[in-house]
Amino acid sequence: MISFQNIHKAFDIPVLTGVDLTVETGEMFALFGPSGTGKSVLLKTTLSLIIPDQGDVEVDGLSVYRGPASNLDLIRRKIGYVFQHAALFDSLNVYENVSMGLPEEELAALNTAELSRRVWDALEIVNLEPREILSKLPSELSGGMKKRVGIARAIVGRPEILLWDEPTTGLDPINTAAVERLIQRLSKDLEVTSLLVTHDVEGGLHICDRVAMLHSGTLRFCGTPQEFKDSPDPVVQAFVHRDAAIAALDMAVV
Amino acid sequence: MANLIVAPIVAWFAKVGRAYHITVEHAGALGILVWESLVAVLTLKVSFRDVLRQMHIMGVQSLPIVFVTASLAGIVTSQQGGYQLISSSPRYVLGTLVVQSVVLELGPLLTAVVLVGRIGARITAELGTMVVSEQIDAFKSLGRDPVAILAAPRIIAGIITMPLLVGFADVIGIYAGMLMADLDGGLGKETFFYGARLFWHSWDLFYGFSKSLVFGFVIPVISVHMGLRTRGGAEGVGLQTTQAVMFMILTILIIDALFPPLMLQ
Ligand SMILES: Nc1ncnc2c1ncn2[C@@H]1O[C@H](COP(=O)(O)OP(=O)(O)OP(=O)(O)O)[C@@H](O)[C@H]1O
Ligand SMILES: [Mg+2]
Repeated sequence: MISFQNIHKAFDIPVLTGVDLTVETGEMFALFGPSGTGKSVLLKTTLSLIIPDQGDVEVDGLSVYRGPASNLDLIRRKIGYVFQHAALFDSLNVYENVSMGLPEEELAALNTAELSRRVWDALEIVNLEPREILSKLPSELSGGMKKRVGIARAIVGRPEILLWDEPTTGLDPINTAAVERLIQRLSKDLEVTSLLVTHDVEGGLHICDRVAMLHSGTLRFCGTPQEFKDSPDPVVQAFVHRDAAIAALDMAVV
Repeated sequence: MANLIVAPIVAWFAKVGRAYHITVEHAGALGILVWESLVAVLTLKVSFRDVLRQMHIMGVQSLPIVFVTASLAGIVTSQQGGYQLISSSPRYVLGTLVVQSVVLELGPLLTAVVLVGRIGARITAELGTMVVSEQIDAFKSLGRDPVAILAAPRIIAGIITMPLLVGFADVIGIYAGMLMADLDGGLGKETFFYGARLFWHSWDLFYGFSKSLVFGFVIPVISVHMGLRTRGGAEGVGLQTTQAVMFMILTILIIDALFPPLMLQ
């Protein structure tokens, strides 16, 4: 369970102004919102990558900002984070990048064969051909491949919670479907909690149990996909339709 | 009316206040960085391989450029000294001059300046790029300590490598100066070293060594610190690198100026 409590964050201007949100264990939760509303900032407060000015985050009852420092280590171990721009380590090849997804002690305890197995499996799950890319550097990969290596790195440690920052942006329809299936499967089979930030409103509504919309610093909407579609709120409606329009545009361009 | 007088004064105080604030903030962050690096070293979280890799980059790969700068420093000192000392002093004084200048000043200072350009700028740009491409966040999210992985190996490598490089620069500088004295004024090797030995204190070597140790510490600490504070995209990395170079050069020159009153009493 992740619970954001009254999160405030301002950079030059206020970005988040009191966000309260709880994602239950095993739930698939989608967070929508216009570009620049602070979706990535909100995700990052979970791991103290960005420290909120006010408020707290609790992960499975462990407080990130009010508890002892050791909480953060425990929480970082529980959570896999898929970065919006992959954030692969550019001096390490794909194999090393994915291995970094394992906690240090686990990495030390595995022998080479076991480690290869884990890395190999993680890459296959995201529909990459391990043989071809294991020894490549991130600079030699396409954007979509980087993204999927980033996902492999996030899941290889078998986290209990996954935070996905636009995992399908920049992927072709087949890989988008593969990633969506992966999120569903992790949630159904392994009870993994997923908090998904996405611009793919249709996909999000399709696979998630609940959705929320971030707008002007606060949660404008939080409920089931059906409630979202039926919401009379003009902002929600405008967003759904605008997004549909953009999606149509994207299809036309691609 | 009163405003005309008061406003500039207030503005001036505000400026001083801001500068003071920024200085204190940097000093605090530098202190924390050094402390965390020390903790990482003491808790054995720093990989020996990373340190070796950084030593290779800082040391071995810097040898050619250090060779060139040190030779030129020795040659120029020798020529200039020879020109100024003509007929006014015994000729062996040239040996003293070259050796003392190289060991006390030119060896450490020039090597440090070369390393600021070659290593300091590189570290800031590298870490800055890692910040803006979220790689530092990725390390943290995976429970890794960026200080142990990125900062500490560079600082340790700097402290070890710099004195070695300066020792190399000293030898090259002195040798080049000696060759030049021979070519230029026909000053033999024996005379040159006679002069060098006449005014030699082993303290001088320790003095040069201490300087190089401090420089070897300062360059990676400042460059890592500046790199990790990078904000914005490619432009931010460029800006931060320029500022880091200024910061390092100024710090090195100030430390260099502080050394004589502190250690040459
Ligand atoms: N490290 C930072 N320093 C300064 N400002 C930041 C930082 N991170 C984010 N911001 C600002 O916070 C706001 C929200 O950014 P964020 O990346 O969370 O948007 P987002 O909702 O994820 O948008 P997108 O859908 O485009 O990814 C933006 O205005 C951004 O400029
Ligand atoms: Mg974002």
